[in-house]
Amino acid sequence: MTGDMGRPSILAMLRTRYFSTLGNAILSIISFSILALITWKVLDWAVFSAVFSAANGPEACKAVDGACWAVIDARWRLILFGLYPHEEHWRSGLACGVVVLMTVLSCLPYFWNGRSISIIWIGGFLAFYFLMKGGIFGMPVVDEQRWGGLSLTVFIFLTTVLVGTPLSILLALLRRSELPWISGVTGIIIDSVRSLPLLTILFAFAVVLPFLLPDWASGDKLYRAILGSALFFAAYQAEIIRGGMQGVPKGQEEAAKSLGVRYRHRIQRILLPQAFKNALPATINQFVITFKETSLFIIIGFFEILASGNAAYGTGNWTFAFVEVYAFIALIYFAFVFSLSRYGAFLERRMDVGDQ
Amino acid sequence: MTQTVEPAIIIRGMNKFYGSFQALKNIDLTVEQGERIVICGPSGSGKSTLIRCINHLEAHQSGDIAVLGTPLDNNIANIDEIRREVGMVFQHFNLFPHMTVLENCALAPMLVRKWPRAKAEEMAMQYLEKVKIPDQAEKFPGQLSGGQQQRVAIARSLSMQPKVLLFDEPTSALDPEMISEVLDVMVSLANDGMTMLCVTHEMGFARQVADRVIFMDEGEIIEQNPPEEFFGNPQNERTQQFLSQILGR
Repeated sequence: MTGDMGRPSILAMLRTRYFSTLGNAILSIISFSILALITWKVLDWAVFSAVFSAANGPEACKAVDGACWAVIDARWRLILFGLYPHEEHWRSGLACGVVVLMTVLSCLPYFWNGRSISIIWIGGFLAFYFLMKGGIFGMPVVDEQRWGGLSLTVFIFLTTVLVGTPLSILLALLRRSELPWISGVTGIIIDSVRSLPLLTILFAFAVVLPFLLPDWASGDKLYRAILGSALFFAAYQAEIIRGGMQGVPKGQEEAAKSLGVRYRHRIQRILLPQAFKNALPATINQFVITFKETSLFIIIGFFEILASGNAAYGTGNWTFAFVEVYAFIALIYFAFVFSLSRYGAFLERRMDVGDQ
Repeated sequence: MTQTVEPAIIIRGMNKFYGSFQALKNIDLTVEQGERIVICGPSGSGKSTLIRCINHLEAHQSGDIAVLGTPLDNNIANIDEIRREVGMVFQHFNLFPHMTVLENCALAPMLVRKWPRAKAEEMAMQYLEKVKIPDQAEKFPGQLSGGQQQRVAIARSLSMQPKVLLFDEPTSALDPEMISEVLDVMVSLANDGMTMLCVTHEMGFARQVADRVIFMDEGEIIEQNPPEEFFGNPQNERTQQFLSQILGR
């Protein structure tokens, strides 16, 4: 078609897309009706007929058909902070705020250089740790055993990623070593860790390891479990990075060699930046999986957000309100994972600069 | 008083194997400083392998190589020393795609020569002007044409201020209309007195600037002569056959 047709009107677009034939029209009407019905039911349950305030206790919920958000109103502190001492909850909340700030800062391209990122992450991590643990500036000590809820979930995730990422780069580099016994041994380590279920690894590190190690070396159960989780993360992430490295043409390294650039700088400046770019979609995927797998820590007795959610409806008079609690937790997971994947998409677009 | 200038490159009895296949056979070659050499030969004759041995992108198995007086052995310090002084231009450019043109050129001087960024970028701009492409300094390699990319690659090598430049078929991957812009830059480098070893099929370039043309076949140096002699009166039968194929005579 030529000529100045202008944009088709919405009505015209609806007609061509959904009502072009009689059959299509019937299908469209049925589908739209089902969609509308579901939307109405969900809205009615979640908003219109719901009880939001816990002021009147669980009894208020029993009188209505809608959602009982009152359970969240009554128990949100338990869900977010677990067994953390009540009067210290601000510390746990602030610690999560620090993490959010640190994530936002490291998403800004202005800070994308090794020094800034290291300062932000190590500084942020230390701030998080000391806020949670206390023992300085007059803050009472709170043992890891009493950490819980969202801040524990975030702590497990962050520590896993912070420990696991350097480890995964190391494993990926060792695996492509020219010395066969180094690459071979690394390959066996990676394959062994990958062929075990995460649950087994967590259990082994948390429960079995103390029997094998002397007391001074075994540390806190939480850190042993996180170490296991980091190892598991690193085994998968190493293969993702190795895949990214294989996508970098051999000529890149040759060009850097011919300029006299040494191994360390070839890796840092030429190989890894391009490998990360190639590996980005799979890396975001791995981060998302790792965030969700923090819920497995429930097995070895940690009160991460899912466990504290169970406790929130499992005690007292709220036992009927489990759907609402799980919906609330799902929303929190969604907020984290969705931001993560949107950020990944932003990175991909940004890194495409210069490609054709 | 006169001082004898040491040769830029000395190769003595060098052999190179890939497994049981011998890619280079008993190579002897001396390149004086300021000498411009063109290496030609059929594909698989070992000409690229030869120049890749000079900066140790490929390891040789026996024989001696010395570059600017530094012996090329398994000593990493010596390999680094040689690579600092020997630049290389590749068939497929091999620019770093995640860096701008200027960053491509300034990277090695900053990392290897330890120059401050300002100095490295200033020198890089000079060489980008030399290859007539200063206005593209802030672009990424992917935004440039093949000819422009190859000129950036030459500027990147020059930014290290090498004493020897190796060219590995620098125009073979280019569209025909872009070959001359790259050759022009190479001719001007030759006229500046740069020591150059060029693997190329551009016989016009060889005639114009080469002090010596080397013909290789099956891993051996078959014949080497100044261009008039080489093209006018080729001695070896294989050289004659190659020239007749490539020049269409």
